[in-house]
Amino acid sequence: MSVKIALAGNPNCGKTTLFNALTGSNQFVGNWPGVTVEKKEGKLKGHKDVTIMDLPGIYSLSPYTLEEVVARNYLINERPDAIINIIDGTNIERNLYLSTQIMELGIPVIMAVNMMDLVEKNGDKVYIDKLSQKLGCEVVEISALKGTGIQKAAEKAVGLAQSGRKAEIVHAFNPKVEDVIANVAAKLGSDVAEEQKRFFAIKLLEKDDKIKEQMKSVPDVSVEIKQLEDEFDDDTESIITNERYVYISNIIGGCVAKNDKRTMSVSDKIDRVVTNRWLALPIFAVVMFIVYYVSITTVGGFLTDWTNDVLFGEIIPPAIQSGLDAIGCAAWLEGLILDGIVAGVGAVLGFVPQMLVLFIFLAFLESCGYMARVAFIMDRIFRKFGLSGKSFIPMLIGSGCGVPGIMASRTIENDRDRKMTIMTTTFVPCGAKLPIIAMIAGAFFGNSGWVATSAYFVGIAAIICSGIILKKTKIFAGDPAPFVMELPAYHWPTVGNVLRSMWERGWSFIKKAGTIILLSTIILWFLMSFGWEGGSFGMVEELNESILAKIGTAIAWIFAPLGWTQAGEGWKMAVAAVTGLIAKENVVATFGMLYGFAEVAEDGSEIWGNLAAAMTPIAAYGFLVFNLLCAPCFAAMGAIKREMNNTRWFFIAIGYQCLLAYVVALCIFQIGTLFTTGAFGVGTVVAFIMIVAFIYLLFRPYKESETLDVNLKKAV
Amino acid sequence: MPLTMVKEGEPNTIKRVGGKEETRRFLENLGFVPGGVVTVVNQIGGNMIVNVKDSRVAIGKDMANKIMV
Repeated sequence: MSVKIALAGNPNCGKTTLFNALTGSNQFVGNWPGVTVEKKEGKLKGHKDVTIMDLPGIYSLSPYTLEEVVARNYLINERPDAIINIIDGTNIERNLYLSTQIMELGIPVIMAVNMMDLVEKNGDKVYIDKLSQKLGCEVVEISALKGTGIQKAAEKAVGLAQSGRKAEIVHAFNPKVEDVIANVAAKLGSDVAEEQKRFFAIKLLEKDDKIKEQMKSVPDVSVEIKQLEDEFDDDTESIITNERYVYISNIIGGCVAKNDKRTMSVSDKIDRVVTNRWLALPIFAVVMFIVYYVSITTVGGFLTDWTNDVLFGEIIPPAIQSGLDAIGCAAWLEGLILDGIVAGVGAVLGFVPQMLVLFIFLAFLESCGYMARVAFIMDRIFRKFGLSGKSFIPMLIGSGCGVPGIMASRTIENDRDRKMTIMTTTFVPCGAKLPIIAMIAGAFFGNSGWVATSAYFVGIAAIICSGIILKKTKIFAGDPAPFVMELPAYHWPTVGNVLRSMWERGWSFIKKAGTIILLSTIILWFLMSFGWEGGSFGMVEELNESILAKIGTAIAWIFAPLGWTQAGEGWKMAVAAVTGLIAKENVVATFGMLYGFAEVAEDGSEIWGNLAAAMTPIAAYGFLVFNLLCAPCFAAMGAIKREMNNTRWFFIAIGYQCLLAYVVALCIFQIGTLFTTGAFGVGTVVAFIMIVAFIYLLFRPYKESETLDVNLKKAV
Repeated sequence: MPLTMVKEGEPNTIKRVGGKEETRRFLENLGFVPGGVVTVVNQIGGNMIVNVKDSRVAIGKDMANKIMV
């Protein structure tokens, strides 16, 4: 008989660690709340017919966050055969609050008290038999990290699921509340199973609209609600929340013995320092500096140089070439493989070492618990321009790669804040934009360091200005959601966990190289190598005759106001920018191919001369900014689409990004040109109008919010 | 008085949680219920880290102002 077991518990109580231990799978475990936003499935080790479901961490079964809705819909609609309710042993009281709700679902429950090793170290004691008696389910002690007791917990859960023994509800509220619940339960029709009646009755009393939608018939319970609210002088939801906590505080004394002598915990001591009023920001700046210094310039830079210059410069291309020569490969196919595939994909894979180093650092910061503090520290600053501190983490991860960055925005509960974060995260220069920066800096500005620095400032300025401007539009009006976030205890991350996260994120990047970029380089090569020459279609000698040149010429006028077309080679810039939409790594590679180099270095140093002849430095800087701000690569756009989960919002996000990129690039070129050459024209006037409009949008008063209490219930 | 006025390290009993319904619910689910004990661990410019029911929670200034102790 196949059995489904769900893992449920508070955020950060060790569900995913237990899931990995039970199924032998490799999910990343982060030490901040909300790492698992989707449910994940796996098979119990040694039992092919037992499915384990890892649910997102939740504090209750109310409908206030995305995670709670995902978890509870699964529990109500799919009805697993058993639930393992994981409890953080160091924080039993709060964890039991959810347990009292899970018990009401009418599904067999087994309670696993996790982190027993820490509990013992603290000198505390948990009496599991008492706990079991007071909550009406079996209780086992486990340590998911050390692997103790987990097999026992799993076996008990399987046994329970097979026996189908439902959970008995032992906990009881105030008799008056119990009476009302019983009255409502009696009103429920036969379409609600007997053991679920209490759950639905309570949800109806709590005026939970989402539950009402799922019920076939909804009895009218307004009389009961009024009766309770009059009696307790509070709203029903608070009354029930309170009743749960009252019950827990009554039983907790008998179930847990706390070591009174314990002074401030280590985590509190660390927090005193790293979130200190004066030291918090300097410490954060130092940490970030070390992360980027090591991953971009030293270790990561060394590895990337080696991959680009040696592996994809001296080793692979000659080897492939001699191999192809040996089998007498046709010249066009050799061109496709060497100039197209190896050059294009190689340019992307060259970044992998650098990104892996960055991902190791980020994974370490995440799993030790510092990242959650960063959100707290940054909140004060981010709030000033309408974002929440939680938006910072997606942006930080986005500096490595936008795709995981956009995905990390899921931990933001407020729908508006999340959408805004998704729209602005990719303004941060990601790893793939670095070569464009290096190319422009090298070709036009004598490799000056300020180009790269300014690129980050442009990104940050774009985020800040977008935050302010968007906040003043109708669709985003309203205060950012108040900051509330549980801070996990600090702990040393396990090596496996850090490596796992690095690999997961790195692999999605490598996969991109193997799929989208591979395909786009082939298509690009085809468009570039074929065309109409001398009246017939075929391979072209002259690049200007290719299909690509035709397409580029057709769209180049769009970019004329940005100064890309000055030397009559605007189509090359246009093509490069368009291929940048497929993957930013393509931009340099495209220039390489367009200027006839089979293989260019990461920063495209071979083509610097050609480029410098084609554009003025100001237009080039505009080109750089355009590529930094416009819609990100296909993979990231896919992520935006997935996370927005709404086609209209997807186009709003992409449209906004492209428009902003175009306007900023236009202003840079037109006004820069005015200052350097004194040339004044229609474009300059347009640029000034744009700037005035921009300043107006930035400084106009905040709109009175019509959607101040945007409700997650509606948004989900 | 609001939680923002509380001295660091001093345990206090929550009297009332105010604010918008949605946020209040979230706070209640996290353990901020009347009668519960809350201790301020640290604060930066009004944003604070507090200890409630054995867990550490970071809350913004606007929210902390609405928790009466």
